[in-house]
Amino acid sequence: MKAAEKIEIDRRYCKGCMLCRYICPFDVFEPGEQRSDLDYLMPRPARIDNCKVCGLCESNCPDMVLTVVAKEKGKEKE
Amino acid sequence: MNPLAEKYLRKEFLPFLFCPGCGDGMIVQAFLKAVDDLGCIDDLAMTAGIGCSAWIGVYMNVDILKILHGRAIPAAIGLKATRPSRKVVTFTGDGDCLAIGGNHLLHAARRNIDITVVMVNNQIYAMTGGQVAPSTMLGSKTQTTPYGNIEKQLDGCRVAIAAGATMVSRWSTAHLKPLIKAFKTAINHKGFSYLEIISQCPVQTGRYLLGSGSPEFNLQWIKEHCVKEEDPSQWEEIEAQGKIPVGDFLRTERPEFMEEVQRMNRRVKEEQARGGDR
Amino acid sequence: MKKGRIKVMMGNEACGEAALLAGCRFYGGYPITPATEILEFMSRRLPLVDGLCLQMEDEIAALVAVVGASWGGTKAMTATSGPGFCLMQEAIGMAVAVEAPCVIINVMRGGPASGQSTSTAQGDFYQARYGSNGDYSLIVLCPSTAQEMFDHTIKAFNLSERFRIPVIILSDEVVGHIREKVFLPDADQLTLVERKAPTVPREEFIPFQPDTDGVPFMPAFNTGYKCPVISQAKSQSGNRGNAREAAENIRRIVSKIEDHMDEFAEVQVYGDEKAETAFVTFGSVCRAARSAVDMGRENGLALRSVEVKTVWPFPDDLVRRALAGAGRVVVAEMNLGMMQREIERVVRRPEIRIELFSKIGGLYPQPQEFLRFLEE
Repeated sequence: MKAAEKIEIDRRYCKGCMLCRYICPFDVFEPGEQRSDLDYLMPRPARIDNCKVCGLCESNCPDMVLTVVAKEKGKEKE
Repeated sequence: MNPLAEKYLRKEFLPFLFCPGCGDGMIVQAFLKAVDDLGCIDDLAMTAGIGCSAWIGVYMNVDILKILHGRAIPAAIGLKATRPSRKVVTFTGDGDCLAIGGNHLLHAARRNIDITVVMVNNQIYAMTGGQVAPSTMLGSKTQTTPYGNIEKQLDGCRVAIAAGATMVSRWSTAHLKPLIKAFKTAINHKGFSYLEIISQCPVQTGRYLLGSGSPEFNLQWIKEHCVKEEDPSQWEEIEAQGKIPVGDFLRTERPEFMEEVQRMNRRVKEEQARGGDR
Repeated sequence: MKKGRIKVMMGNEACGEAALLAGCRFYGGYPITPATEILEFMSRRLPLVDGLCLQMEDEIAALVAVVGASWGGTKAMTATSGPGFCLMQEAIGMAVAVEAPCVIINVMRGGPASGQSTSTAQGDFYQARYGSNGDYSLIVLCPSTAQEMFDHTIKAFNLSERFRIPVIILSDEVVGHIREKVFLPDADQLTLVERKAPTVPREEFIPFQPDTDGVPFMPAFNTGYKCPVISQAKSQSGNRGNAREAAENIRRIVSKIEDHMDEFAEVQVYGDEKAETAFVTFGSVCRAARSAVDMGRENGLALRSVEVKTVWPFPDDLVRRALAGAGRVVVAEMNLGMMQREIERVVRRPEIRIELFSKIGGLYPQPQEFLRFLEE
């Protein structure tokens, strides 16, 4: 079963549209408190343990700023 | 930026000029995914006109000619004609393609010239602030129809089919998987391919026509209003419910324009060599 | 003595012959009297040299396809008349903005609007220079004979490649349709100019950074340069520019031409260079003016005709020199006074009135009318 090592959001170009939260089937994201360099409130992957690395957030992001890094095979339970 | 972005974007032009949550950015990524799968980035030559969607190709590492409103298709023809091995792709919008550019769509489809026209349909003139477009729903109160739009919508897919296109599809930003597949089919299709994408415009269509400027609301609206239906005889019923048919509508083959030109040139030169009339 | 052959042909055909010799391999066009012969000629001849002639759906598509072909790496041309020239104006500005070499022929006819399709006129003199929006410059050549239709077309292609601009050949119905002897040089007798390809690899290439002559290097599409070419006001990187960058780029695309006029500006003087009375003419009117000069000489009247061959950028210095010592200046043109304004601007001697011999309505000025005008 896949799990996420980390979810990176490029703060240089995130526009806070929250479509990652909308599209995520596993309720990983919620609105955060940090602002991006473009001054938008960024999402926060609050429940990264829920992430199954389905890739929907990464492929739907309208600014291509989101990257899901999967845990290496064998380390998913860490 | 994500790995696909690192690989293919023109980074010195970032950020995308698109509004937060705009479908155009999603289309950039979907297209690059298709291009990555095909490995064809070096063969691409792109053209574009004016409007939000015209900027889609500018952010990619490709040769792109972005010129006048409505005139991307003749520029694409000029590029294709001078080297038919190019894969020519044009990103256009509902205004750029169906209003000012309508004439050029007709004739490119009629010629069945091997280019791909991707019409990003957000049902409004977004770049200029939200005026009515040929694709805007009846009754809509836009910046230029403050009392309600009284004009019937023009359906680009029906127009393309009638004009002679040999590949016609419509998907949306809520259908990225079939959209990526359609991109690949269109790029490889030998003939004129017309690919329409229903795309959210939270700032204009969303705020003025649908009641909310939230990107999530607007993408959800698209998901709910697009119905997969590939049988044209069922379209009217779907449209009567206020919904939009999506799917791969047409894929056929007939003589492609540049191949016919080359065949003709060969024949003419042979006849001349044999001493025939000029 | 150049090697070649002499053929009798129509001015429009001579233009086509020259285009092919210059290396034009794409023609986008639309039928319009009195330029249609050029489109028809190219449709017959381009397939024989592996070129493509496309009759497009309108004149706008014709010129835009030409610009696409130019960025595709091919020399390309279109031809039209007044109404089609109007339609092309936006695209002319665009060709300037994206620095695409191309050649546009306007075989002028009676205007305004549909005007007189089969009659001659010279009413597009200013439109050729100022028809598009914003600040820009380009080169406009005016042939007066079928031979000049040939020569100017070769020159137009060379100048378009040299400066990366649309070059306009401003002809008229008389010159387009007249049939006369044209000397066609053999291909190896011609000097042809090609646009400069980039000399650095892609990583170092800045699309709109000029060479020392103000003209950037031009890669063809799909040669690895991934060039962003937009028609918005731009910076050197090709992206939309800020105010300073936009202004800089606009100044450069004007000065790249206007600082180098010595390379192409041409004014000829026919008749007595020191004659008191000078006609100033362009295009087909040069022919009648020459006959008037000859008639005048037979009657003991010294006349000169100043023929402006490159009307834009207007060759102020050459015209001033050609009119030096003239006490009477008559601009003869088939419009209500357009080049007249340029001559007024250029000849700033208050003692001379710049007179206008104007002929409109599709009527061509006869040589004896020039002399009658002088008497009145």
